[in-house]
Amino acid sequence: MATETASPVGEGDAFASAGLGDGRRLLRGAVGVAAFLVVWHAVSLTQDPFVLPSPVAVAGAFASELASGDMTAALSQSVRHWVPGTIAGTGLGVAAGVAFGWSRLLDDLTAPLVRTLRPVPPLALIGFAIAWFGINDWGAAFIIAVGAFWINFYAAYGAVEGVSEDLLDVGRTLGVRGDLDAVRSIVLPASLPGIMTGIRTGLGRCWMLVVASEIFGVPGVGREIIRASNNLRVDRAIAYILVLSLMYLLVDVAFRAVERRALAWRA
Amino acid sequence: MAGVNGSDAGDADDSPGRADGPPEPEAASVALDGVGKTYPGDGDGGAVRALDDVSFSVADGEFVCLVGPSGCGKTTLFRIAAGLTEATDGRVLLDGTEVTGPTTDMGVVFQEYHLFPWLTVAENVGFGLERSDRSPAEREARVDEMLDLVGLTEFRDAYPKSLSGGMKQRVAIARSLAVDPSLLLMDEPFGAVDAQTREMLQRELLDVWASTGKTVLFVTHDVAEAVTLADRVVVMAADPGRVREIVDVDVERPRERGDAAFAEYVGRVRELIGAGP
Repeated sequence: MATETASPVGEGDAFASAGLGDGRRLLRGAVGVAAFLVVWHAVSLTQDPFVLPSPVAVAGAFASELASGDMTAALSQSVRHWVPGTIAGTGLGVAAGVAFGWSRLLDDLTAPLVRTLRPVPPLALIGFAIAWFGINDWGAAFIIAVGAFWINFYAAYGAVEGVSEDLLDVGRTLGVRGDLDAVRSIVLPASLPGIMTGIRTGLGRCWMLVVASEIFGVPGVGREIIRASNNLRVDRAIAYILVLSLMYLLVDVAFRAVERRALAWRA
Repeated sequence: MAGVNGSDAGDADDSPGRADGPPEPEAASVALDGVGKTYPGDGDGGAVRALDDVSFSVADGEFVCLVGPSGCGKTTLFRIAAGLTEATDGRVLLDGTEVTGPTTDMGVVFQEYHLFPWLTVAENVGFGLERSDRSPAEREARVDEMLDLVGLTEFRDAYPKSLSGGMKQRVAIARSLAVDPSLLLMDEPFGAVDAQTREMLQRELLDVWASTGKTVLFVTHDVAEAVTLADRVVVMAADPGRVREIVDVDVERPRERGDAAFAEYVGRVRELIGAGP
């Protein structure tokens, strides 16, 4: 009677949801998008293009920006902000969250600082970005890193706080000694689901911050959106917004695959 | 009044089970010596005396069950014995050495299993071995041996999420035994499984006990379980938690619940638990 609930591991139930049920969802999604495009197009016929360009105009702008090479250039510039900003912010945020979540001493020491700095929006730090890094890729990466930092800090902090005392007790009776051993062998794996959720949220937020990070003149996708808007080229602005959306989608799908694999043990 | 000498506290019919004289840590695998625990109040008094002067010992290879009414501090005593909670008074001696913190010489099994969900069955069992000085080959052999002991060899690569409660508890027992402790401490280990599984696990535990010769201190609120398993049953009283009496269970194993002698012991222990403060 005990065995019937048990099943050998390693089956691809991560992909079970990618079967038939998913086909229907995709179809419905496609219908929703088509309906949205039709409504958009209908409304755009009644408006000036600088108020609402038609989806056809946006597609045209997308194609011409892509063909001219401007879009890929802007994207590669933004990637140079996004990648180091996201990596640095995520790494530092997770490390600080785990350390402060685990150590009462560190938490007490830093709590006032953390609460003071937390509500500062990354955008408000543009002055520091310029002063410390200059109007360049590093300045933009800094803005993105700040955004990634806080999301990951709080996700990791909360996840570590939620680690069961009982698991730590079990570990101690099995020879776990000292903070490093406890963090490495119990705290980190036990809080991994929460940390992963933080990383995933942060990855998306960092694409949003690409716009903010380029607002002070660093070239990239964000800069193109701001410039197109200033020139009332709404079709171009939307085309570049789509680039951010596509990048977010790509990264999110990739990360979810990693997450599923890393958390295969989860119920 | 403090000391209970394990070897002669046995005459349960007419002795109070609290014979005078010091415990004999040399002969005992584990001895509790005047253990007390007071939880401080919140300023305006209200300190709670959870345990008061608890003394008894468990001899090498002996199986002792600890029973008592709810609130008698069984779990606190268990945690103190395991070195997970500090006693306010007294001490715990493991083979004559004072216990000051958790040690791999005591295997601990909790009611809620507390398996590491991110590790497979085999990795859970091998967790403590990773911190031992055994070679990887020795560790693997030990894990195989433990899995075989609890009958879970075919589930070695499964994650805990896919196991039933009874199987999880078998993994937890194998995990605690893997590092070869001299004492097994168990806190209501079968309290979370159905009755049928519980009886099966009890039989299995007795087999493991017989084949490994471990000393076992087993906390339970189930009197029939205690009488089924134990050489001696330590009956506790509440407010404050203390030893009321130690009952020698003088029945041959395997014990049948239908036996008159079995029923008599169960009745006697129940009476002691229900006797009020």
